[in-house]
Formats: sequence, C-alpha cells, structure tokens
Amino acid sequence: MLKSILYKEWIKIRLVVWIALGLGLLALINIFLKVRHDIMFVDAANYWYSFLFRGFTYFSILKFLPFVIGLAVAIAQYFPETVNKRIKLTFHLPVSENGILIKMHAFGAVMLLAIFVVILGLFTAGSAIFFPSNIIRASLLTMLPWFLAGMATYFMVALILLEPMWIFRGLYAAAAAGFVTIFFTGASIGAFRPVLLPLTLITLVLSCVVLFSGYRFRKGEM
Amino acid sequence: MIKFSRYILVATAILVASIVLPTLFWTIFEKVPRSPNIFYSTITEDFVIVDGSKKKNPEGKEYTSEEYEKILPFMFFRQLMADGTMPDSINGVLMEAPSISRASSFYRYTPKRLDSPVPTLWPMFESQSGKVNLTMPEDYFRIEKRMEFIVARTNEVNEEKSSLFTAALAEEGFSFPAGIIAGIPTTRKSCDEGYFITDSAGALFHVKMIKGQPYVVRIDTPEELDIVYIEAVDIRSKEYYCYVFTRNKGVFVVMDEVYDLQRLPVDGFNPSIHTFRLTADLFNKCITVMGSNWYEAIALDDMYNVVATHGEEWEDLYDRPDGKMFASLFPFETQMRDDNSSFVRFYFKPSPGVRWLIVNLLALIVTVVLIIRRGWPLRSNIPDLIITAVTGVYGLIATQFFPNKFSKVKPPVKN
Repeated sequence: MLKSILYKEWIKIRLVVWIALGLGLLALINIFLKVRHDIMFVDAANYWYSFLFRGFTYFSILKFLPFVIGLAVAIAQYFPETVNKRIKLTFHLPVSENGILIKMHAFGAVMLLAIFVVILGLFTAGSAIFFPSNIIRASLLTMLPWFLAGMATYFMVALILLEPMWIFRGLYAAAAAGFVTIFFTGASIGAFRPVLLPLTLITLVLSCVVLFSGYRFRKGEM
Repeated sequence: MIKFSRYILVATAILVASIVLPTLFWTIFEKVPRSPNIFYSTITEDFVIVDGSKKKNPEGKEYTSEEYEKILPFMFFRQLMADGTMPDSINGVLMEAPSISRASSFYRYTPKRLDSPVPTLWPMFESQSGKVNLTMPEDYFRIEKRMEFIVARTNEVNEEKSSLFTAALAEEGFSFPAGIIAGIPTTRKSCDEGYFITDSAGALFHVKMIKGQPYVVRIDTPEELDIVYIEAVDIRSKEYYCYVFTRNKGVFVVMDEVYDLQRLPVDGFNPSIHTFRLTADLFNKCITVMGSNWYEAIALDDMYNVVATHGEEWEDLYDRPDGKMFASLFPFETQMRDDNSSFVRFYFKPSPGVRWLIVNLLALIVTVVLIIRRGWPLRSNIPDLIITAVTGVYGLIATQFFPNKFSKVKPPVKN
C-alpha cells in the first residue's frame, strides 16, 4: 500500500525533480566556471578580498532557486489532486485519511530535501577547490535561509492548494508570502546566523500544517 | 494534530502580522529622529550644536553661517583662507594649512559595529617594503589553533610563514585562538600598522609584518579589560593606533609607538547601545556619546583633560505623537533588523504602557461578535479569545485568516 502511494507521488513529481536537479546543476556549473574565470583573470587574492570585505557573493544566482523548486514540487504534487477533487479518491481508501496525507507530504518533503542536499553538497565540494573553510562556512550560512525558504514554500503552497475555498486560499497566500519574505531579508554575509535555529524550528513545525486544509477539504468546507 | 496544525498557522500569522503591520505604520507615520552634531569651538571656548539646518550654542543663541564658519576655523579653514578672514594665529600658534589638516580627524562608532558578522581571514601587508604604495599580499591569515597563511591562488597553507608567525605569537604568550582581529585591510592608507588582536584570554597584541618577519608586541593594559571592539585608525597626526572599546571599563586609545592606553573620559558609555563620535582639531577633541534621546558632549584639551561638558535630552520615540499612536494600536512589534545590530534576529519589542489594552479589547469584542454571528459555541473558541486578548489586532487577523471551524463537527445543539 505504502509503496503504491509513494509510486503515485513519484509519478507526479518526477519530472519536476529531474528539472530541479538539472537547473541546480546548471546554476552550480555557471557559478564555478565564473569563479574559475575571475580567479584566473582578476587574481585570486582580489577575488577573496571582494568576498571578505566587500560582501560580494559568488553564489547569489542560487538565491531564488530553492523557492522556485519548492513551489514547483508543491504544485506538481497537489495541483493534480485538486482538479475534480481527485484527492477524495485517496481519502476513500480504507486507511487513515490523515495518515495517507502525512505520507504523501513526507515523501514530497524528503524529495525536496534530497534535491537541496545534493545542490548544497555539490556547492560545498566545488567551493573547496577555490576557497578555504572560512569562506565556505560563511557562504553556507548565507545560503541556508534561502534553502529553508524553499522548504517553507513547499509546506505553505501545499496548504494553499488543498484549501477548498478561494477566499481562504488568498488569505493563506498573504500569510505565506509574509513568512517566506523573512528568509529573504536583505543582510550581509553570515548575518542570519542567530536566527537560523528559530527559523528552522518554525519551518519544521510548518511541515504539518497541510493537515489543516486537508481536513477542511475532507469535511467539504465550502 | 489538526487543531495543533491550526495553532501553528495562527502563530505564524501573528508573527507575520507583527512584522508587516508595524512596518507599514512606521513608513506612513515615522518622523525622522533628532541626531544633532556637536563641535567644540576654540574661539568661543564653547560647544556648537548643529541640529538640522540650525547652528547654535548651548544657550540657544543661533549663529549665521558666516559666524559659524568663523568660530570653527579648523573645519572651515579653506573657506576662511579664501575669504581672507582666517586668523594668522590662534592661542599663539601660527595657523598653517598642513598642520591644521594633520591634526584634524573624525571617528564614529555605532553599536552595529559591535554586533555584526566579522571576517575571519585578513590580509597581512608588508609594512616596510620601502615602496610608497602598499601592495595586496597574495595570502590571507586566520588565527585558530595557530596562525595560518592561506595562499589565495592555490588555496593552500603556506607552512613556512605560518610556523614563523605562530612561533612569534607563542613567544609573546599568545593563547590561541584569537578573539578580536582589527586592522585596516586596504592598501588605501598612509602606512600599514598591521593588526590589533586579542587572544582567547583577552590580552591585547599588536602584530605586523616587517620585511617578511613577524613583529609582535604584547600590550600591557592597566587592568583586566573586557575588550569587545577594536577599531584601527589611520589618522594623519599619528597620535594613536586604535580605539579600544570595553564592555564596561570605558573607551581607550592605544598611543602610537609607546603602546600606552589612554582612557577617554566617557563614563557610562555602553558600546551595545550608545553611539560614540570624536572630532579632533589642533587644540581640542570633542567626544559625543549619544543614546536614543540624549547626548553628552565632552571637550578635551590636547592632554586629554576635560575642559567642558554639555548634555541634552529630548522626547523619546514613544513620547512623540507617532510613537504614542503606535503604542496604543499595537501591543508589540517584531523586527528582523535592528538599528543596533547587523544580525538578522526576531527583535521582539513590547510597546510601553497599557494603552494598547483598549484596542485589544476591541479586537476581542469583534472576535466574539464574529463567533456568535456564525453560530459557533463560545466555549470551543476560548483559545482564540485568549490569543486575541493578548495579541490584539494581530490575533484578530490571524484567527480570521485560519478560522476555527472544528466546532462544525459537533453541530450546535438546537433548542
């Protein structure tokens, strides 16, 4: 049973997952080709200097990528369910309605997390060729909020899509937009350090909010 | 679980509302806060306060721009020389442009500098290359378990140089790793004086490179100082190397070459919330310590003796009409950024006073009316009522965005 549910979810999002990985890879290739070019033609010492003292981030192209990926995975997974209320079929299976929704949602979240881990892992490996650990650490600190934003976007968009009433979709979207904006607060390199833990915790508890609109959907809130 | 998920959403919505609504409010209503500049005039032997476009003395007498330029001859000596009104000598000292500009300096410290991410890699310049211009080194150093130089081109540690400097630091009793590292990491300075570094025990060191060799001096401090911030300066008078800010033992300057710590007379200065300004001229230094709604100006002679002080206080944010209105509308606000820090945090700021209670009460009434109109039992909505009573407008919005319709499961009893 679980296997078939996960297979169904995989069929829905596999295209998006491969495209997301491809985009991530393209972005990383772009970043490191540029770094290599600049280090060869500008001079490595100056390149480090602009990162350390001028706040130049060589990875800024990645800023909105996690957000877009999170959005795409959520749409691919939940939009087909809302067309003709197909998810009702799932809810009619002889298993716990909440349980099945949790499994669907966990699968999507794990896939999304896997994409992000791959991108961040490759980024770290690539950076290690050109930069010392100090610069890599500062870079990861600066990028983490963007990737958390991707997770939060996935959770909130799932909530919005499963909501049956349009007016509430709008209201949820307003709250979600306000929340996701927090992750993109303009700040210097490493400035998010003190707020990363609270933001991670909030994002983590947001993983279960899809149950709220799932419940409203099941109860036929109209 | 489902009810729990709703409260998570409500809490998130309250957080978002407490960030967004106050931001909107302040963009519409906030008045620019006062931030006067204070100078000390050798001519009048008194302070000059520049507040907006007004220039006045502490008694409130306003100066015209001509008078203002005349009483601050060191700031406006070019203008005065062009007008031919620059005195030939002041206090018996002949007025010459080079000596005036050499003695003039300005420094400003804000609490943001204390609380911000700091670089952990620094360039070590050759301070006696024999060339007029400084050149950017090809490596950067970090001080963790030892002092390491990393060559940028290869991203590899220069072992020889690293051991040389690590040994030189250890010889002076440096305990690794470093705390604060302060220097001027640019080639655009008159000369290189290296770095001022605290070790893990809080002791202060001066480290630079002379002809490829390490130069390390342990700087004796009069007592144990809890140093929180150091700023190296490149002033033309070469009077001192750097400013040293301590948690609560005041502000010091480290005198050039002799390494004496000179205490600046700023009692009660708190580096985490106060701003510090220092303007120096041929005869005096004028220090201004500024809080959110007050300042204290201190004038010193060239031997660091206090010659005059002046202070002023004005309406605090929440005493002004815009602040008062805010404090009656919202019980608190959350900001992601703060004036006193470069870090992003949840800065939670409760509004002073209890005037917001009225709006909270109104929000509570609206919630009750909405619940009754929908025919829901009040009893199953008690948590919502408590949330609205405490968080006011934010709670009202959040509980309506994510409505509590679980009461629908058990339909209200019909009589």
